[in-house]
Amino acid sequence: MLFQWGMGRQKKQINDRVKQEGPDHSGEAADVPQEPMSAELAVNLDIIRQTTGQSSDVVIRRFSLGQEKQINAAIVFVDGLVDEKHVYEFLLTPLLEASFPLSLTEKESFPWIEQKLAAVGGVKHVVDWEHLFLELFSGETIILLDGVPSAVSASTKGGQYRAIEEPQTQLAVRGPREGFTESLRANTAMIRRRIKNPNLWLETMQIGTVTQTDVAIMYIKGIANDEVIEEVRARLRRIDTDSVLESGYIEQLIEDQTFTTFPTIYHTERPDVVAANLLEGRIAILIQGTPFILIVPALFIQFFQAVEDYYARFDIATALRFLRVLIFFLSLVAPSIYIAAMTFHQEMIPTQLVIAIAAQREAVPFPAFVEALIMEVTFEILREAGIRLPRAVGQAVSIVGALVIGEVAIAAGFVSSAMVIVVSLTAIASFATPSFAIAISARLIRFGLMFLAAMFGFYGIIMGLLVMILHLCSLRSFGMSYMSPLAPFISTNVGDTLFRIPTWMYRERPRLINQKNIIRQSGDQKPKPPAPTRREKEDGS
Amino acid sequence: MEHSKINVRQLFVLIVLFEHGSAMVIPLGVSAKQDMWIAILLGLALGLLLFLVYERLFHYYPDQPLTSYVTHIVGKPLGKLLAVLYITYFFYIAARVLRDFGELLLTFAYPETPLFVLNVLMAMTVMYSAYKGIEVLARTGELLYTLLQILAVVGFILVIASGLVDLTQLQPVLEEGWKRVWKTVFTETLYVPFGEMIVFTMLFPYLNRSEKARRAAVAGMVLTGINLAIIMAVNTAVLGADAVSRSSFPLLDTIHRIQVAHFLERLDVFFMVALVIGGFFKVSIFFYAGVVGVAHVFGFSNHQRLVYPFGALVLLWSVAMASNYWEHIHEGLKIVTLYLHIPMQIIIPVLLLVIAAIRRRFGSSAK
Amino acid sequence: MKRPIAMFVSFFVCAVLLAGCWSKKELTDLAVVIAVGLDKTKDGRYLASFQVVNPGNVAGALQRGGGAGGVPVSIYTSTGDTLVEASRKASKKLSRILYYAHTNLVVIGEEVARQGLNGVFDAMERSHQFRTTARLVIAHGHSAKEVLSVLTPIDKISANQIIKTLEFSEMSWGQTINTDVWGAIRGLTSSGRNTVVTGVVIEGNPQQGKRQTNVQSSVPDARISLDGLALFKKDRLVRWVNGSTERGVLWVLDRIKQTNITIPWKGKKEAIGYRTMGVKTGLKVKLKNGQPSILVHIQTEGDISETYVPINLADYRLLFQLEKAIGRDIEREVKQAIETAQHEKTDVFGFGEAVHRAHPRLWKRIKKEWDDRYFPHLPVTVKVEASIRRTGLRNTPYIK
Repeated sequence: MLFQWGMGRQKKQINDRVKQEGPDHSGEAADVPQEPMSAELAVNLDIIRQTTGQSSDVVIRRFSLGQEKQINAAIVFVDGLVDEKHVYEFLLTPLLEASFPLSLTEKESFPWIEQKLAAVGGVKHVVDWEHLFLELFSGETIILLDGVPSAVSASTKGGQYRAIEEPQTQLAVRGPREGFTESLRANTAMIRRRIKNPNLWLETMQIGTVTQTDVAIMYIKGIANDEVIEEVRARLRRIDTDSVLESGYIEQLIEDQTFTTFPTIYHTERPDVVAANLLEGRIAILIQGTPFILIVPALFIQFFQAVEDYYARFDIATALRFLRVLIFFLSLVAPSIYIAAMTFHQEMIPTQLVIAIAAQREAVPFPAFVEALIMEVTFEILREAGIRLPRAVGQAVSIVGALVIGEVAIAAGFVSSAMVIVVSLTAIASFATPSFAIAISARLIRFGLMFLAAMFGFYGIIMGLLVMILHLCSLRSFGMSYMSPLAPFISTNVGDTLFRIPTWMYRERPRLINQKNIIRQSGDQKPKPPAPTRREKEDGS
Repeated sequence: MEHSKINVRQLFVLIVLFEHGSAMVIPLGVSAKQDMWIAILLGLALGLLLFLVYERLFHYYPDQPLTSYVTHIVGKPLGKLLAVLYITYFFYIAARVLRDFGELLLTFAYPETPLFVLNVLMAMTVMYSAYKGIEVLARTGELLYTLLQILAVVGFILVIASGLVDLTQLQPVLEEGWKRVWKTVFTETLYVPFGEMIVFTMLFPYLNRSEKARRAAVAGMVLTGINLAIIMAVNTAVLGADAVSRSSFPLLDTIHRIQVAHFLERLDVFFMVALVIGGFFKVSIFFYAGVVGVAHVFGFSNHQRLVYPFGALVLLWSVAMASNYWEHIHEGLKIVTLYLHIPMQIIIPVLLLVIAAIRRRFGSSAK
Repeated sequence: MKRPIAMFVSFFVCAVLLAGCWSKKELTDLAVVIAVGLDKTKDGRYLASFQVVNPGNVAGALQRGGGAGGVPVSIYTSTGDTLVEASRKASKKLSRILYYAHTNLVVIGEEVARQGLNGVFDAMERSHQFRTTARLVIAHGHSAKEVLSVLTPIDKISANQIIKTLEFSEMSWGQTINTDVWGAIRGLTSSGRNTVVTGVVIEGNPQQGKRQTNVQSSVPDARISLDGLALFKKDRLVRWVNGSTERGVLWVLDRIKQTNITIPWKGKKEAIGYRTMGVKTGLKVKLKNGQPSILVHIQTEGDISETYVPINLADYRLLFQLEKAIGRDIEREVKQAIETAQHEKTDVFGFGEAVHRAHPRLWKRIKKEWDDRYFPHLPVTVKVEASIRRTGLRNTPYIK
């Protein structure tokens, strides 16, 4: 109640201010000049200099076109964003050396430049300042002519990017070692190389009123569901924020439900994963500046699938899947079970174990719940520390953490050995969960379950899990039920959930995502080695 | 009225989980001693017949729950009165099962904790599920159904592996003849759990293909009947008919006796899981039916706002219901059966069906 | 949306505040009672003895070397008119709460058994903490308290020694029966069967037995051993049986798993040993003129385990003769057991239950007087089929 009242007051303050200052438009930090472009070169260049505050990396190179007519012109580009070779060799040189037909007016010279001189791809006609600056800061070169109230932008994108390396997350022993980079174009190229199909469509838009980040969606027309595509487009268009720096921003602005610990949008660094998902009918959202690509719609079961499951054979893949579910369950529930068993249900534990643990706990002054809490929090601290440490020191700290803190804590009587075992197991389990996003949810829910266990024992744990399952079943991801194909049960898709049927049995794509184009492969894909020939039989006998 | 739909498989799962409910953990049909499995199967047979009545009514009025079509059959004032009666009945049974469940949990696991506390936790979960709607409940059911199946099979294997099953305990079959068995059927097993299918008349409209309702329900009931009969038969085989009749939770006693390889012992938590899940579904479905009924009869477009007040009502009712466990049981066996189950499950629906059939005949001939 | 959240929160807060820590039991506040002993005091009240585990002295010495050299168990006693009263009174002596969920053994003093077990088990059955899978033995010759006080060499917790001995003895020798509280209750409630319980004795000096020194020598001063079978009539102990009669009872009860039978051969008394591997006993009820009679049908399979006489075991016809001899031996034991039970007028074999299953109407009439009138004169035929399957790694013995 208090919280609502506080929020209400804050809202009122914001509303009052908006009424004073004007409509609530996000991030009016940069004011793009509203007047149209002038025909005079000098004026335009002045405006450019003013708007960019004479930033030293905005290069303005004036020159004259034509040998006789001498039209004044200038090119503008941002140093560092352009590929200088392109600018000088393919733009400036032809422009400087070109011989103009004498009769060409200023008005006609632009089309002539566009069509004849600019030896680069992607030539566009720009008529207002907003687009001009957008192009300029995207790495294009702007060509301005004296006497023409518009400009030409030529595609000269370049600059330094990180090379294609192995992805940091989602490692696989077998499989491609390429990971996405921060360049949108490079990423789309990596996907295109894998799906050489004209139906792989790419739509780009700029999101973020100040950052004007390039955001692109990719999907395979005909396989992806048109309604979902439209929904994605609509949600992206609705975003009205000032900055988009990472796919996380977009994820949090378009996800189905905010008040849940479970992720409803999948992200990945690997192009093969994206390609596979696109082939199942999903939609990829790429964002300039981050190697993490979003994939929608996402299902709960996806977070338990690892890349290698599909490259390995079905028996090991199935075994590993079961293991992963077990791991997730452990990381969720292990400390709670320990607490519940120690405080309420000592009859569940075999007699020998009870006596052994009782011996250990004699020395510990805290009740089981407090002990568990201390250990878990300590472990979270260690984990956070581990992320921030430079690699050189990391090894030493892990030794410190494990040996010293663990051993000494036991010796000092803070915690019991059994507790350390449980917490370590939980920690390892949470690292072993294939998707980081879902490991995070497990981390949070674990504390809730511990609390319930401390108050109500096993009953509390069961109720907590029940509520969690209810919650999971109520989630949707872009129209799809989050828990399918387990609930609602779709028998044709179950082959890729907790276990994996052999590859030659995969007949259909996930059903809820797309309705047409369901058949993935024909019916008789089972490998049939040829029968032994007569010659072999003779040799054998 | 919700716009959600459930499919046939989900309906089947809901029926199975609901019917199992608390029936698998209490002594069901125990007055028939070692013939209780026969009593259960007979209860199933009669229950199927009874169900056909409900199904026919649904067939006459597809897309409408009981509280709606009752006004169509007997006119608005009487219909509304009957609808309110049924809603009260559903809430009462929800409170009853909640009380049952709390008592059960309290007796074997948490004797010092007050009943209210245990019930609060369950009530909150039930309210959350009703708030989210039937579709979420159905999906949850699909997931938990598999889990319960696995638990059941594993439990069964463990019981056999412990060498506990002694089929001679089921003899002499029909010692007192059919009389005792029929008596049990008509006083116990027909109403709980098979007669309680009447609550599903409120849920059939959510089915996406209404003609499949019969198949799902019959399959569900048959599966449940067989399962329950097997469970009680195993209980009798392991414990002996006498011990079963003296025990408050025969299944728990059976699980207590599992001892495999010196290591798989003390598996009470299995029992608790089955109890909690079964109890949850039973209370949830009754509660949801009641809430949806109220929404219908009193013209609420969104049932969600009703969840919390009625949830609190059911919770408090469950605690206030009886002062001790045996008063509660006595109420359940003698009073409720006679004055509630028989009219609400049998008499009124049959009358409704007859009137509806007559109306149809005359209605169509009048055209 | 605000109101539901408020209600939700208020409910939860209620639950949290009220929950407190009712059913909470910290492990370190519990006294794990591993065995319970029951005796009678001179003035007829119950004397309960509790064997409580001292965890620090049981588990490996890894955990901070807790109290090296301490005894692993402690015995506490308490008197009361009822079991629950005695149990709660014991809290005056203990720094912890008595916890029965791991009570795996119940030792009942002979006096209590002779006076009647009715009522003794009710608290155990009704309590949610106590598990009726706890094993049951009767203390023979000493009090239950003394039995529980003896320290044992191999098992740190002496109750474990008794429990495991019960299991393996029944399995290997078949003269003792591994029964639990639940089985005993079943015998008490059934009118067609009475209970049998194994007895436990102390060999040696019980005073020395309770000292640490008892386990510090290779031949301890006091040892716990299983001995004798107690036959009950309803809830009273009426007779101890020993030796082959004991085994005879178990033959009929179908509880023999492996045992060794020696038969005489060609003049020598204990000549050939036969080891049973699988035993199956069936009871059949026959009616003659409205009177029931029982056929006990025993089938065993086994090997020849040793021989003291020269005999050509490779001759299969000889084996058939041996089988008959073995059958006669078993029949003798069984008949002896049945006669003893009939003499005591107590049907410990479950013959009554068999009649109940086969002829319920007859049973209804005779069940009230089964033990006293019908059972003692019940005609019982014993039919034994022993089969010798193998003779081990040798055929003819080296003896000439």
